[in-house]
Amino acid sequence: MNNLWIPIILIILAPLLGGLVYGFERIIKARMQRRIGPPLLQPFYDFLKLADKRKMIVHSAHAFLGIMHFVSLWFALAVLLLGSDLILVIFLHLLSTALLILAAYSTRSIFSHLGANRIAISILAYEPVLIIIAVSIFMLTGSFDATAAFQSEQPLLYKMPLAFIALLLVLPIKLKKSPFDVAEAHQELTGGVELEFSGIFYEAVYTAKWLDYVFCYTLVYLFAGNNILLGAGLIIFTFFYLNALDNSTARVSYKQMLRFSLTVSFSLAFINLLINSLT
Amino acid sequence: MNLASYRKKSPWILHYNAGGCNGCDIEILACLSPKYDIERFGMINTGNPKQSDILLVTGPVTKRSRERLVEIYAQMPEPKVVIACGACASTGGVFRGMYNCEGGIDQYIPVDVYVCGCGTRPEQIIDGVVQALGILETKTKELEESVRLKKETVKEGKQINRRNIADQVKPAMI
Ligand code: SF4
Repeated sequence: MNNLWIPIILIILAPLLGGLVYGFERIIKARMQRRIGPPLLQPFYDFLKLADKRKMIVHSAHAFLGIMHFVSLWFALAVLLLGSDLILVIFLHLLSTALLILAAYSTRSIFSHLGANRIAISILAYEPVLIIIAVSIFMLTGSFDATAAFQSEQPLLYKMPLAFIALLLVLPIKLKKSPFDVAEAHQELTGGVELEFSGIFYEAVYTAKWLDYVFCYTLVYLFAGNNILLGAGLIIFTFFYLNALDNSTARVSYKQMLRFSLTVSFSLAFINLLINSLT
Repeated sequence: MNLASYRKKSPWILHYNAGGCNGCDIEILACLSPKYDIERFGMINTGNPKQSDILLVTGPVTKRSRERLVEIYAQMPEPKVVIACGACASTGGVFRGMYNCEGGIDQYIPVDVYVCGCGTRPEQIIDGVVQALGILETKTKELEESVRLKKETVKEGKQINRRNIADQVKPAMI
């Protein structure tokens, strides 16, 4: 029974956890730039303030799709944490992103459309790599279930290091971090897909970003098997790697992003798959 | 912790240049730099009117920018505060009386805080924003108050009768 309680508590606390990660990340980023940075609970202050603002919606379907994006992302996270099929998890995550893209296309704002185009392109960049990683896990553990990865005696990291590097290369695309943040691009698109959301409906999209952090770090944790210390180490390493990368690089164009991801990350993951299936 | 104090802790700023010389804009960007670091107050420079609380305007209103200014102001959801940043935005400054300028921004939108200086200093901008936070707080409270009619109730016998009005109108129509 003990095994079931941990994921359930994690699922319920996921938004809180993601908010804390986001707050911590903002502090770390500020410290890397020699600033003091906002307080740790800043994301929650933002959350409460946004709840206070007057609600302005473009049309009801737009707001509804935004909320459904949040709900379906939470659902995908729940399926992942409960240790179900990895392919299912990846497609559920894709569904939640697709809902956001639909919401962005349903408005007339040109920036929203541009953001949706770019998110679609970034899906093209990271999705194949994730699927190849899932197939590699299947090759090693003999099952697509995340439970198999969570419970494997030997950490997957030792058997598929190339896949882990590929994951590290696509995570910035997924989390919209520089150099691959064309989808959000605050200076040119002012947020892209989330542009038309406001007030309490923006909150859904804002909180979904926190959930995305938990989702990505759980993917990282998959590589540690049942070794909790190694898992924590990997997560902390990934956290600092992502922030250092975000602070030290400039944005590349979406073509460069696609080319890099489909040549370097995809081939890394693919070579890893080949090696796994041969041995 | 007082839960109601969160409103003061996360002001999101929208910055718009209505036609100034960019001197003030550079000072606003200096506020974001490590030396002044306004992010420690939780402020973010968003570019999106639909999610921001404070409109920071620099420069005088020009004939080209006035529509955009009013449009941006209208797109911000309440509660919102406007800061006129610099001499231009407050009065017209060095551009006052020029053929393409119309003076301060308060001719088009209500301004809550005026920050002086031609080339405002970052300290002044931060001070202005902190004052604006107080105004934001009171505005939110006003929004939350229930609205009551201030007029007295109509006494019996004083009610206006429709026929009486019609009688007055009829002769005039003929
Ligand atoms: S107040 Fe002075 S520095 Fe600021 S925009 Fe106007 S002219 Fe430029």
